[in-house]
Amino acid sequence: MIDYNFDWGIIWQQPYGPLFLNGIKTTLILSACAWILAFCLGILVSVFRVSSSKPLRFFGATYVEVFRNIPLLVQVFFWYFAMPSLFPKPMELWLYDNISNLPFFLGILALAFYTSARVSEVFRSTLLSVPHGQYRAAYSTGLTPYKTYRFVVLPYAFRLSIPPLTTEFLSCFKNSALTMTIGVLEITGTTAYIESFTWRGLEVTTAASFSYLVITLCIIALMAFVEKKTRIAGMIHQAR
Amino acid sequence: MIEIKNVSLWLGDDFQVLKNVSTRFQKGRTTVICGPSGSGKSSLLRCINRLERFQKGEIIVDGLSVRDPKTDIYKLRKNVGMVFQHFDLYPHMTALDNITLAPQKVRCLSRQTAESKALQLLERVGIMDKANSFPAQLSGGQQQRVAIARSLAMEPKIMLFDEPTSALDPEMIGEVLDVMIDLALEGMTMIVVTHEMGFAKKVAQEIIFMDHGEIVEAKNTSDFFNHPDHPRTRDFLNRILSHV
Amino acid sequence: MDWTVISRNIDFLLGGLVVTFQLAVISLAGGIFFGVLLGLARISSRKYISCPATLYIHFFRSQPLILVIFWFYFFVPILFGKPMSAFISAIIGFIAFETAYFAEIIRGGIQSISKGQMQAAYATGMKHHQVMRYIVLPQALKNMLPSLMTQSIVLFQDTSLAYVIGLQEFLRRTSLVDSREVKSIELYLFSALVYLVICLTMSLFVRRFENKVHQGV
Repeated sequence: MIDYNFDWGIIWQQPYGPLFLNGIKTTLILSACAWILAFCLGILVSVFRVSSSKPLRFFGATYVEVFRNIPLLVQVFFWYFAMPSLFPKPMELWLYDNISNLPFFLGILALAFYTSARVSEVFRSTLLSVPHGQYRAAYSTGLTPYKTYRFVVLPYAFRLSIPPLTTEFLSCFKNSALTMTIGVLEITGTTAYIESFTWRGLEVTTAASFSYLVITLCIIALMAFVEKKTRIAGMIHQAR
Repeated sequence: MIEIKNVSLWLGDDFQVLKNVSTRFQKGRTTVICGPSGSGKSSLLRCINRLERFQKGEIIVDGLSVRDPKTDIYKLRKNVGMVFQHFDLYPHMTALDNITLAPQKVRCLSRQTAESKALQLLERVGIMDKANSFPAQLSGGQQQRVAIARSLAMEPKIMLFDEPTSALDPEMIGEVLDVMIDLALEGMTMIVVTHEMGFAKKVAQEIIFMDHGEIVEAKNTSDFFNHPDHPRTRDFLNRILSHV
Repeated sequence: MDWTVISRNIDFLLGGLVVTFQLAVISLAGGIFFGVLLGLARISSRKYISCPATLYIHFFRSQPLILVIFWFYFFVPILFGKPMSAFISAIIGFIAFETAYFAEIIRGGIQSISKGQMQAAYATGMKHHQVMRYIVLPQALKNMLPSLMTQSIVLFQDTSLAYVIGLQEFLRRTSLVDSREVKSIELYLFSALVYLVICLTMSLFVRRFENKVHQGV
């Protein structure tokens, strides 16, 4: 049935083996950088969204809707093809010519903004899910709003947000594959690259799928450990 | 000690929860507020420490105006402890940490001082051995006793109880009421929203009956039970006492 | 800025949008159909049914969609020795991928129904399939409709990934026009706006529906 001779050796061969490993490294670094940025932006935007100022709330809501409702691939293309041309022509050319990692950096930005909208929604909904009685109890003992957030609301909300944040991080990790379309050699990009030289796509793509699977499982195991460590005794955690 | 003058509270634009309520609570006395659900009892309690902002009238607590924006509301709340229907313990902290948080962060006590004080309080409410348990590991009655200890740790001059036993299983009500009775007998100024008429008869000096956002009747305990004036009060008492 | 590039190519671009909608609707129907089957399989009490279903779901949820599309376009035809058109292989790829996500939503919806409901139904003498049919599924469906619709919006956005195998859906056509006319800002802003308007309309609809569901409870 299968008219194809497998040659699994291709994955270990020079220079493809190191190239592939480099792809894994790029995926990890890219998604980690995007995640850190998305996390900070997400906190900021969720604070806007629950603030008492109307303009800030409006800004936050618009931010979330815009970055959530445009496909990531369109956003990636926008950052890479359209954004540099917003600068004057000489600067645009300089950007493309002199920054060899431009796709990498713009890929991080695209992924970070896209992910931040989702992260801010997670923060907002966990903040809203902290029962109102918690605020009342804290205020009744004389805690200020700042201290109430600092010691009562945020530590609790943080624990509630671990499972949904894990999901978002995994999405961020998988979505990093889209940066291949602008030439970033992360796992998927490297796979296509090696394929074009060797015609050994089936083996390399299998290796890529396997890598995503293993890394995902590792992250899930790690987060399960973190969740267990920070679990509140006696409480049944509802996974959301 | 607490003076309430013509307080009106609206929730939303057209729903008036409290209608021109006036009364006063004296130092060292226990007052029970009762009435059907939705009568504004809990709202009145929450107005006293400004968990609810009322639109009209004035409340003076220990010489401080609650409504005045210049009042340091945090200073006022230090002196007014509050216990809630659903306990509202902080779920991510042990019983001990629940009690020591505010003394450390508001009264700036050292951890050691706060903890030894907290342990004394836990002993007083009878659950010394649960100091390191988390709320979810405690029964409802135990949680409510921790919540009482948490309020007492601020050494308040006034204690507000908002239906402290109505979320409890029947067999646990007694253990919470016992703690409250002790507190009343020690001379704490207490305002208790409850339907536990046995408790009212035993320790309250005064009873207030509220309905539809108004104080219908306010009397000393024996008069309240023996000679209620208002037909609505009599009706309510009949319904609530017939089950006992 | 030269916005005439849009009007000059509007027919070509809208033709792409039609392909996008075709992709989305067919994949959605297939995804939900197989999602229900897989979701039920996943909570089956028979190990030989639930185990493969669980493995399938976990595997596809760990993969980037773009890689799944590559698989179905380049490699599955090799394994079966038959070439497939980009459209067909994209559809198969989307369905295979989204089924895993829909299955999890279905499972969550069914498990959100309290045990008490089922016990009450069993206590009146109903059989398992009757309990599912009359008690669990109607409630579960109502609970999970918002998530199903949200996932449908995600799926709609995901169809843009068919770009990578050269399928001429909306984004591919945008980039084709761009390579001819080099008007990146106008073109990508336009395509972003089109997606934004469509997805935002859908998500506003979901929110209104959610509020209705909440009021109904």
